[in-house]
Amino acid sequence: MSELFDQFVVEAQELLETAGGALLALERDPADRASVDELFRAFHTLKGASGLFDMAPFTRLVHVGEDTLSLLRDGRRGMTPELADRLFRALDQCARWVAALEDTGALPADAAQAAETLVRGLSGVSAEGAAGGGEAAGEADAFPWVAALAGEDREAVGMAEGVLTAIDYRPDPDCFFTGDDPLALFRRVPDLRWLRIEPAEPLPPLAQMDPYRCLLRFRALSGAAVEAVTPAFRSVPDQVRIGSVTLAPSAAPPSAAPIAMAPPGSLAAAMLGEQARILDLPGSAAERQSRSAAVARAVAAILTALGRPVDRSVVAAACADAGTLRRFLADGPPENDPAEKPAAAEARAASPRRALRVEPERMDALMALVGELSVVKGQLGPLVRRVGDGELTRDMKAFSARLDALVGDLRHAALRLRLLPLARVFDPLPRLVRDTARRLDKTVELVLEGAETEADKDILDVLGEPLLHLVRNALDHGIEAPERRAASGKPPGGTLRVHAFQDKGGVVVEVSDDGAGIDPGAMRKTAVAKGLLAPDAAAALSDDDAVRLVFAPGFSTAGSVSDLSGRGVGMDAVRAAVERAGGRVEIASTPGSGTRVRLSLPLTLSITRVVVVEAAGSLYGIPVAVVGGVQRVPRAEIRAVKRAESVVLRDRVVPLVRLRRLLGQPEEGGEHTGAGGREADCVVLAELGDGPVAVAVDDVGERADVVLRPMSGVLRGLRGYAGTAVLGDGRLILVLDLRELL
Amino acid sequence: MPIRYDADLARFEAACTVEDALPLAEWLEATAAARVDLSACTDLHTALLQLLLAGRPTVTAGPEDAFLARVISLPPASGP
Repeated sequence: MSELFDQFVVEAQELLETAGGALLALERDPADRASVDELFRAFHTLKGASGLFDMAPFTRLVHVGEDTLSLLRDGRRGMTPELADRLFRALDQCARWVAALEDTGALPADAAQAAETLVRGLSGVSAEGAAGGGEAAGEADAFPWVAALAGEDREAVGMAEGVLTAIDYRPDPDCFFTGDDPLALFRRVPDLRWLRIEPAEPLPPLAQMDPYRCLLRFRALSGAAVEAVTPAFRSVPDQVRIGSVTLAPSAAPPSAAPIAMAPPGSLAAAMLGEQARILDLPGSAAERQSRSAAVARAVAAILTALGRPVDRSVVAAACADAGTLRRFLADGPPENDPAEKPAAAEARAASPRRALRVEPERMDALMALVGELSVVKGQLGPLVRRVGDGELTRDMKAFSARLDALVGDLRHAALRLRLLPLARVFDPLPRLVRDTARRLDKTVELVLEGAETEADKDILDVLGEPLLHLVRNALDHGIEAPERRAASGKPPGGTLRVHAFQDKGGVVVEVSDDGAGIDPGAMRKTAVAKGLLAPDAAAALSDDDAVRLVFAPGFSTAGSVSDLSGRGVGMDAVRAAVERAGGRVEIASTPGSGTRVRLSLPLTLSITRVVVVEAAGSLYGIPVAVVGGVQRVPRAEIRAVKRAESVVLRDRVVPLVRLRRLLGQPEEGGEHTGAGGREADCVVLAELGDGPVAVAVDDVGERADVVLRPMSGVLRGLRGYAGTAVLGDGRLILVLDLRELL
Repeated sequence: MPIRYDADLARFEAACTVEDALPLAEWLEATAAARVDLSACTDLHTALLQLLLAGRPTVTAGPEDAFLARVISLPPASGP
């Protein structure tokens, strides 16, 4: 059971994702048949699958969603943004529930209430559709109790079969206060054939009962047409569902067909019967085929839940058409020859070729081992060279080269295991843009490019949040309202482009809009007003640097904090997240024609490229990502004001810090360094977010790819270090986190 | 007063409205073996129906009103 449950959670997540995508496509192009079908299938499968577990609110919600979609599919209801909103809300709710199910195994306590609210919204829509368009058969789905009517009730209805109008009325609990008398409404229903009044929830004992609260639910069948019945409920459209149903011949109604595999009258039996009905529906060959696959899945899942697992292939064969399925359900599975069974079991084990799910910890362990292996392999080269000349050396060299190649391949393969397409972080964007644009009354076209670009899973995790923020920001502050756009001669709809591509060992994502751009003058003013910069410092900034101020902590250009972007994550948070992952953010903006933000990230977090530097006899690593250059600076060019030193590099005045001093090591001057001291310092130019810093070191060594190990244990609290790493020759280095160190 | 209470028997007469709900609830709660006579009832408010469903009194006489007869024929204990 629990395995089935896990499977449901995974499947539900996939289905909800599919449904979200289809709904977006459908809203864009309401005539998109394939999307309607896909959406309908997703809801239908969710309904079937959720019915296996005790989660009535979930089932109810997707059920009503399915009803609404069936109206849509049959063209009896058009797609509107409002309807899309409601369906999106339903999908969101389901997603939250699935998350809760995954965490706690149960729906939250308020699920029934939440479902009820959403169902009202949706069924309000479908009742409208029903009243407007007139119902046809096929609506039986919406009134499952009709199919479940027992024999005597059927007699009461007074006809064995035919088209009836079903009424499902759940009065608002407070309806007595507004003067409603639900029962009285049924007096006005023409040709009322059958009426059942039941408590919608268990009635409390009389002593605790509020006599002014309506707890009843009304279900009825009428022989009159939907249009004739609807007027009776004109005052309560949001509380009633009306639709026409076809009462199948009672001799062999689908649900009454003996289903040997489930207890008669049970939900499972009804669902199994329903599956056969689905196979009867008309459709193209492709539709039928996909339907039969879905039915086979549902039947197999239902049977498993009933404790009667049946081999998949047997079920699939039985689901070829409705007749076969009914026979199969009535007679039970064909008896397997005992000798045949192991073979069948094997077939089952082999058949599901689903994606392999691996615990991330195991992947990380593998990655770490591969990293270590590369490092250890690196030590073989120097060893071989020490052996000297001779046949043995030649063999060892050949061996070492083969090992080199293999380790390289292994590392590549292991890296690839962790690579995922950026589509994963792009997926939420269409929905975000749609909702946000709708809320802001802007028209925005989202162009996604390079979703197939791959990057390490860790990088994707880092990328997700900043990307959402950039997109939100562009919609909120970048792209102007349609009137303003029209006034400046732009098309009323804005374009937001998110473009990902691979770039020398890293992955780049650009978010660009054709909006108002950023005004450097306004940036300067704001910076001064907020006390971030002195007026003369602000005036001295180049336009590009002024625009870059958006990344400064505590900066927000919009006059007011909107509920969209003002969520406490400013652009500085975007910068911090990206830089923490060893990446960079750049921004370019042209006032009046748009802004482009570019995020560059390394391909993987597991292997970091560092510049090895020396200070006071120890080796340290500085991540290449922050290194803007390395050069020797003559002592004479270093200007000192008291202890604060600075140097002019590339026409910029850059503060200079000494690594020895930062690390609390003795000053270089204190020891004897060659004849007459040094005339020049080795300087690493570090590009940190708030400006460049020159770091003076004793010496600069090679660049090396290392596996960065975060500090652990008591060292964890140590600030200023990103971690430790082992160099190719086995020496241990500390990798610096300059941002924290400064 | 459309509902007349007579020891353990309540007689519903003519159109019984939502105003009768509270007295009926109190009476049902206070009366051990409550019985109701619906024969003269021409209209029954949903609130009253709900109380009858919850309190399950014995129906000594079902309503003569055709519509109500269909509704009341189902409830508890003994049918009409």
